[in-house]
Amino acid sequence: MALTGRLGLLAGLGALLPLVLPSWWTLLAFWGALLAGVAADLALAGNVRALAYHRSGDTNVRLGERAAVTLTVENRGRRRVKAVLRDVWPPSAGASPRTTRIDVPAGEARRVETALAPTRRGDREAVGVVVRSVGPLGLAARQLSRPAPWRVRVLPAFPSRRHLSGKLAKLRELTGAHVALIRGQGTEFDSLREYVDGDDVRSIDWRATARRRDVVVRTWRPERDRRIYLVLDTGRTSAGRVGDIPRLDCSMDAALLLGALASRAGDRVDLLAYDRRVRARVEGASRTDLLPSMVQAMAPLEPELIESDAAGMVSALLSRVRQRCLVVLLTELNPAAIEEGLLPLLPQLTARHLVMVAAVADPRVGEMAGARGDLAAVYDAAAAERARADRRRLTAELRSFGVEVVDAPPDEIAPALADAYLALKAAGRL
Amino acid sequence: MVISETTARQVAGRRWRSSRGVLLVVLALAALALALAALRPGGTAQDLDPTSPSDGGTRALAEILKQRGVRLDVARRAGDAAARATPGGTLVVTRTDRLTPTDLGTLQETTANLVLVTPDRHALESLAPGVRRAEPSFEETDVPGCALPAAVAAGRVEFGQAQTYEVPSGATRCYVGDRFPRLVEIADGGRTVTVLGSAAPLVNRSLAEEGNAALAMNLVGARPHVVWLIPDLPEPGAEGGERSLGDLLPFGVKLFFLELIVAVALAALWRSRRLGPVVAEALPVVVRSAETVEGRSRLYRAHRARDRAAEALRAGARERLVALLGLPRGAAADPEAAPQIVAAVAARTGRDEPFVGEALYGPEPVDDAALVRLTDLLDDLERQVRQS
Repeated sequence: MALTGRLGLLAGLGALLPLVLPSWWTLLAFWGALLAGVAADLALAGNVRALAYHRSGDTNVRLGERAAVTLTVENRGRRRVKAVLRDVWPPSAGASPRTTRIDVPAGEARRVETALAPTRRGDREAVGVVVRSVGPLGLAARQLSRPAPWRVRVLPAFPSRRHLSGKLAKLRELTGAHVALIRGQGTEFDSLREYVDGDDVRSIDWRATARRRDVVVRTWRPERDRRIYLVLDTGRTSAGRVGDIPRLDCSMDAALLLGALASRAGDRVDLLAYDRRVRARVEGASRTDLLPSMVQAMAPLEPELIESDAAGMVSALLSRVRQRCLVVLLTELNPAAIEEGLLPLLPQLTARHLVMVAAVADPRVGEMAGARGDLAAVYDAAAAERARADRRRLTAELRSFGVEVVDAPPDEIAPALADAYLALKAAGRL
Repeated sequence: MVISETTARQVAGRRWRSSRGVLLVVLALAALALALAALRPGGTAQDLDPTSPSDGGTRALAEILKQRGVRLDVARRAGDAAARATPGGTLVVTRTDRLTPTDLGTLQETTANLVLVTPDRHALESLAPGVRRAEPSFEETDVPGCALPAAVAAGRVEFGQAQTYEVPSGATRCYVGDRFPRLVEIADGGRTVTVLGSAAPLVNRSLAEEGNAALAMNLVGARPHVVWLIPDLPEPGAEGGERSLGDLLPFGVKLFFLELIVAVALAALWRSRRLGPVVAEALPVVVRSAETVEGRSRLYRAHRARDRAAEALRAGARERLVALLGLPRGAAADPEAAPQIVAAVAARTGRDEPFVGEALYGPEPVDDAALVRLTDLLDDLERQVRQS
């Protein structure tokens, strides 16, 4: 039940009555009339209990895009229901319109469209549907709130997919028509062809040349079916915002680009999100299925405000992989976290695997380092230089373990990581 | 510029239009307040007080009366005055606006002759039956024009602005300006009641004017004993007739307010019923990544850590210089390589080596200005190396 403004207004106007007829009976009679009006409205208003709800529409939406969810309102009662309907969603679902007028005749159904423009990644669940049906006098209304469950998963935006075609072209240079002439650990024999000017003389296959009249070279191509393990650190360092985006979202973007690229290159990609326990894991996904399952796994991830457990992460990783693989650790070059957590465990990892650490640098630190003018700016610059020096030292330490380090600002981290992967692939180091 | 000018004018116009109503109301209120203040009867606590030497007091009159051997009692309460008044004496009643109905009843019962100075309507009704207030007179002075001995003896008297009175037949009418008298004497039972329409003839300020003193002496000091009543403000509730606001309001108005309260309650119920619940949502923490760096900067500043700040800035500059000069990567952090770096920078920039050494490896800056200068110097060196 709900009252309307009209009732309050009427009651206010009724205050003039006792000025004309100053008696208790005036007031009591007036109140009686109001009460009767309210009762009549409640009796005659549309029966909101007889409404049934069904939902359909989008279940997945990429962050930054709009989703449409349809609510079908079915009137199972015997009377027409005219009402105001509100489809209640959490604020970050960005639902619009806020309220809709519905008019459902008995035994029929009407559709109510709600457009969602989510502002955050993750699962958004509908809270419920509220219907308010005002009686014919407009004094009181029947109101009912009922759940109508639906879930829309807001997926990472993956803005770096615009880099994908460029990186794929580079990849084709390595594999397809353009054949690598460099021979390394991670390459396999591809074919023999005639020597042309510029080919490395070391790749001439003398035995084949002897059989034929021309000089023949061997060509190599990067080995396929290498294994790549992407590890997302969802601990406290991933919560820090770079610009207005959490570091975790930048890391996800880079991981998605690398995953897409690597799966096209024929490598197998696995994903692990870890802080003190496994938050998400994608393993053994087929090439076509990889990206959707990665995106689905990443969608509900939120940074946890706890220190990541590097030992747990390494053991979770080592227990799953037997063959040599490329471990891409997407984390932050935080001296305390890395030096105390990861560094002592690196030898275990590097003994069998190739390790790459990708970190998102904060452009704000660069800005501060360039600050000049007054004393505050100079102290800012000093603090920023100090932070950069720490980062450099950490990078050097990691490299001394044979770890590849990619350290780039948020808008460059994804292509930089892809480039690092391509370089490894071209060098046959995978 | 044209656009911004018109915009500014539009903004000003809009502000004027939106605020002029309020301004008008405020001005009207101020004018009303001024008018009310001007219309309010003037007067201070000391007016007509026989002990007050101020302009409005009547101490001069009291002194003259004393010299003439008239006994003057000052009473501050009506009951007091009635008790002291002797039959055949004079009771001067001033400031009648402070008298309660009970006070007036007490005064009515005395047998002393009354002199009422500018009495209000209630005092006139109970103490001078038949006399009613007429229009005020603005004529300053007047001649008696009657046979009253006191007035005849005084002759021309200055009244200033005075109240005039309608009187019953048989009363003595003196100082009749246009139509109505300013001084009235009537016989009420066994006593005479004199009503004076202005305090001017009595007060210190104008006692010396015209025949004022004579009129005052003759009116007040005609008999050997005078009680001068100048009442204090009555105590609230002392009258017993005080009634609360509730007693004064008509029943219909009370019901009106009751119904208004009901209406407000209904409106509150209307507004408080939401269309659906408030949705609570767990929001992610917002931590800026650079916060630790900014915090360190503030710590440096708070503790004036010029040594650490300078070292950090120098290390950063050395790191970039080493890269520009093509020296080994580890050289920047290696003290052994210092002379080599200094020499290389000096050679590239054309500055002398001690100067460059001071900039890159010097001691802590002596003050904040030196730290800022050092930063600029490092920037200069770096730029020169880059451009050379």
